[in-house]
Amino acid sequence: MSSEGIQNGGMAARSKASVIPPHLQLVNVWKRFGSEPNRTVAVSNVDLSIAPGEFVTLIGPSGCGKSTLFNMIAGLLPPDSDGSILLSGQPQPDGALLGKIAFMPQKDLLFPWRTVLDNATLALEVEGMSRRKARAKAESLFPEFGLMGFERHYPHELSGGMRQRVALMRTFLFERDLILLDEPFGALDALTRAMMQRWLLDIWERHKRTVLFITHDIDEAIFLGDKVMVMTARPGTIKQTETIALPRPRDASVITSPDFMEIKRRLLASVEEESMKTFALSRDAADRKTMS
Amino acid sequence: MTMRGRILTSPPVTVLLVALAWLAVVPLFNIEPRYLPPLGDVYAEAVKLWPDLLAGFWRTFLETFIGFIAGALIGIGFGTAFAYVRLLERAFFPIFVALQSVPVIAFGAIVVIWFGNTILAKVVIALYLAFFPVAVNTLRGLSGVNPGRAALLSSFGASNWQSFLMLALPSAAPVIMTGLKLGISLSLAGAIVGEWFGDTVGLGVLLLQALYFEQVTRVWVLIIACGLLGALLYGALSLIERRYVWWQFD
Ligand SMILES: Nc1ncnc2c1ncn2[C@@H]1O[C@H](COP(=O)(O)OP(=O)(O)OP(=O)(O)O)[C@@H](O)[C@H]1O
Ligand SMILES: [Mg+2]
Repeated sequence: MSSEGIQNGGMAARSKASVIPPHLQLVNVWKRFGSEPNRTVAVSNVDLSIAPGEFVTLIGPSGCGKSTLFNMIAGLLPPDSDGSILLSGQPQPDGALLGKIAFMPQKDLLFPWRTVLDNATLALEVEGMSRRKARAKAESLFPEFGLMGFERHYPHELSGGMRQRVALMRTFLFERDLILLDEPFGALDALTRAMMQRWLLDIWERHKRTVLFITHDIDEAIFLGDKVMVMTARPGTIKQTETIALPRPRDASVITSPDFMEIKRRLLASVEEESMKTFALSRDAADRKTMS
Repeated sequence: MTMRGRILTSPPVTVLLVALAWLAVVPLFNIEPRYLPPLGDVYAEAVKLWPDLLAGFWRTFLETFIGFIAGALIGIGFGTAFAYVRLLERAFFPIFVALQSVPVIAFGAIVVIWFGNTILAKVVIALYLAFFPVAVNTLRGLSGVNPGRAALLSSFGASNWQSFLMLALPSAAPVIMTGLKLGISLSLAGAIVGEWFGDTVGLGVLLLQALYFEQVTRVWVLIIACGLLGALLYGALSLIERRYVWWQFD
């Protein structure tokens, strides 16, 4: 599939939104934790819509509710009753999303008693595939994930970056059209990270899955995404959606192009403003505490 | 640990060192046999007692083993039920705690009345003592399952049963192992005490007889035999743990 194909596919999906329903749609989604006076509003009034095959990156200050949003999309946490989540146009009641979305949590959450290979096949086993078949399927992915030779190792024998790749492989083997990745490359060094980004784009262009990707890294958000969504400080809501029209396939040189720089400058201002708010908020709270 | 440190702390070497100390200390401090008989005498007594000793060892082993296995299974069963059905835990857990504070001697009396001087009576006492630590630790292990991992499995669409088998049980296994290791030592004590209520074969029986006739050397033989049995049972569990349940609870 050529890069044009992907571009046009994405565009077409967007312009024909009335015909093809968005793959994922959130309407007025809220999440409040606890009750007054200790109520935390983690996510407020989130509206978003992602077309089939689109790669969307989500960026926002720490603690703004990104992981909470993912937990709701994965079906692990019910959204508050004032909003709804739609998958391919179908409203999803509480619990209906479980098993429909490939979700990679922020922590690798590998099972220490399982080998790397058996960690990778976890979802396949849940789906009822025989161990032998699941292993054979996973084994073929090891070179691609840079884990060849580590099939029989245990998680505690791996570096942080390797563990993250095992978790990523586990997510990919759970073959669902929508993939949620919560800071998948957060633990990787810059070199491996750049390599994994290109590798992920390659996989995505071949498999045409819809990806929603959380990151703290603006470069990463722009480099990967068709769209970058910026979240506000808590209570998190979508502040801004930036369409990234950089041509695909993208290689490392994109990052130094003037277009990229221009987008980055705009997003940086927006993200930093929110980060400042996060710190100002916590300072206010601390002040209030010391005063009372 | 260094190579030398490992050798010094390996069980056979420890036993050898204790034996050497025993050999040296008795003549050195002129200890009366009433307090500590010479090791040679103890050995001779063991040889004399051999057939009875062997039969007693086997019998006490059997009581302990059967009681422990039954207690462990029931303990894991109850621990699991408590972990998943809060109501059951609230209703029954306090009862078990209260039962547990009844001294085994008192409980043993009624067991013997119920089951007579059979092997079953000892098995039941061993079971009773193993049950509680296993149940408590099973409950603790299963309630401490990492919620993130549980969420991950649900996101794959796992059923409760799958979550139990693939996550809860293996992650609780190290804690359950701790309960089993506590339980097996208690089972042995239970079996020996059970024999004191009356029987003809068993290490406990021999121990009681030796006590009556003030056969100090024989008491030492039996102390060593009981210690050996305990060490064998505990060692077997530790071996299983090291081989199959080597990961940490987190
Ligand atoms: N179960 C919960 N109960 C109460 N508050 C919660 C719960 N889960 C999350 N929160 C709160 O919701 C807010 C958002 O948390 P969340 O983990 O979604 O942030 P995040 O954007 O993923 O942060 P980071 O980038 O650091 O991972 C935080 O203030 C957190 O304390
Ligand atoms: Mg997070």
